[in-house]
Amino acid sequence: MSEDQVKPARKEEAAGLMKYSAENLVPFGPIHPALKEPEYFKLVLEGEKIVEVIPRIGYVHRGLEKAAESRPWVQNMYMFERTCGICSFVHSLTYGQAVEGLTIYEVPHRAKFIRTIVAELERIHSHLLWVGLMGHWVGFETLFMWVWRDREVVLDLVEAISGNRIHKSMNAFCGVRRDMPEGMEDRIVERMKFVVDRANYYKEIVDTEETMLERTEGLGKISQDIAEKLCAVGPMARYVGLRRDIRLEDPYAAYDEVPFDIVTCKEGDVHALLKLRLDEMIVSANIISYAVKNMPDGPIRVKIPPVIPAGEHASHCEAPRGEIFYYVKSSGGRIPDRVKSRTPTLANLPTALEILKGRTIADVPVVLTAIDPCFGCMDRMSFLDVETNREWTWSGEQLRQYGINHYLHDRTRRK
Amino acid sequence: MSETLLQQIDKLAAEANTKSIQLREGETIIELDQNQLKNFIKRLVTETPARHLSTITGLDLGQNVGIIYHFWHERNMIHVKTFVPKEKPVALSIVEIVPGAILYEMEIHDMLGVEFIGNPWMDRKLLLPDTWPADLPPPLLKTTKPAEIRKRLGLEVEGK
Repeated sequence: MSEDQVKPARKEEAAGLMKYSAENLVPFGPIHPALKEPEYFKLVLEGEKIVEVIPRIGYVHRGLEKAAESRPWVQNMYMFERTCGICSFVHSLTYGQAVEGLTIYEVPHRAKFIRTIVAELERIHSHLLWVGLMGHWVGFETLFMWVWRDREVVLDLVEAISGNRIHKSMNAFCGVRRDMPEGMEDRIVERMKFVVDRANYYKEIVDTEETMLERTEGLGKISQDIAEKLCAVGPMARYVGLRRDIRLEDPYAAYDEVPFDIVTCKEGDVHALLKLRLDEMIVSANIISYAVKNMPDGPIRVKIPPVIPAGEHASHCEAPRGEIFYYVKSSGGRIPDRVKSRTPTLANLPTALEILKGRTIADVPVVLTAIDPCFGCMDRMSFLDVETNREWTWSGEQLRQYGINHYLHDRTRRK
Repeated sequence: MSETLLQQIDKLAAEANTKSIQLREGETIIELDQNQLKNFIKRLVTETPARHLSTITGLDLGQNVGIIYHFWHERNMIHVKTFVPKEKPVALSIVEIVPGAILYEMEIHDMLGVEFIGNPWMDRKLLLPDTWPADLPPPLLKTTKPAEIRKRLGLEVEGK
């Protein structure tokens, strides 16, 4: 079949698929993959090549920092936990640590271990969610289904420990609100073995499956120097070989008592990033198993007065997506003077925008998903072609289909 | 290693005619004038290992707007603090030294109305809605009340 004969057929198919996906949505059951948070990127194109990407965020900005200035210290902890629906625990942990630093009270030893366990469970479930989404964006739905099923195993554990699946509300100032349930140790260790097995299996898939290799290998290359200058954090810094992990460099909770090493890689493409996140899950599973077996006894919480002494303090933690940062300033009252929160996605956005330059539209979903964006979907994407001066808008789903069709077409052409 | 970093910071601070104050273990704060800031940050990121900028915090301090640049390396956080007067909130951008600061400066521009000279994206909004009234003061100033914002943006709910 010559190339000319293939193209029209493909076009019709693509149009058909788009119509199908836009008008006949099939619900996926109780766990819906709709991570549809509105963000807007303006892509400046030259033909199909991206020249520049202009971000416009803030569609879901709720003014939390302003709200914090009129609420008591404790209430803020649970409000900031609701910043994110995936890495919720680490928000309250970092805010809590920033406030604890202003007081004279110490966090009990056992509470530090519980904090570590919950934070690592959160990392595993966040990374699993990301691997699933990556499968979805490259058009490998089976992987998506498998991974999200395995994520349930971790969420069940989170629920057993904290009583909730997502907003755990485990933290309190100088401690945690709930102790570990009796007899959880064996169950956690057994589940962690399962997580390690699955992560190893997914690593094998990622290395052999053609769809994955085609869409991710060689994509998203960026030099270590540029990533450092753009202040990349978390996996986005580690995948180019920077050894940057706050758990190791500036340990908090019980990380200085748990033996572990961080994962870095040198390839610096999305494929390496996939394997890096899977490897990090294995590290997290081992941390949890160790912490559960070596958990000290004792109190889980120290009660502190509602008035926080005057002063300023900053704290940072390693969230699943990278460094999360809180700065608090107190004037010695019941409400804070200023709370500043910085999430890792904002820190990684400049890096993602830099990677996109020179790539094609088909790579946009994969690259933007690679930073594990907290804003999920790339709805309301608008395009501006500098050659023809034509401007148009696509939804996230149209963009996903375009990416899949582009690479399908590519493959057919090569054969 | 960490001691040498602090010594380096002390030296840099002394050369900028200021002093580094240790807030607590692992946290150092340096207060600087606007005209010293760019040079200090350039030397900080090129001569010391504290190259990573966590974020930039802007805060309303009554007469002034405080801007804090948070750097960190291993167990040390370095806060570089500077002030701009509220009547004329103009600061110098550090984007050419630390390109990753671009979105943080835009955030302060939106939230506290500080204009950063040298930031290429100062003409755009990052977080505030496009419909934000031009005469409404920046939202994070202490004098801007949430009720006023709600009223002006037409978000007032009856009975509240």
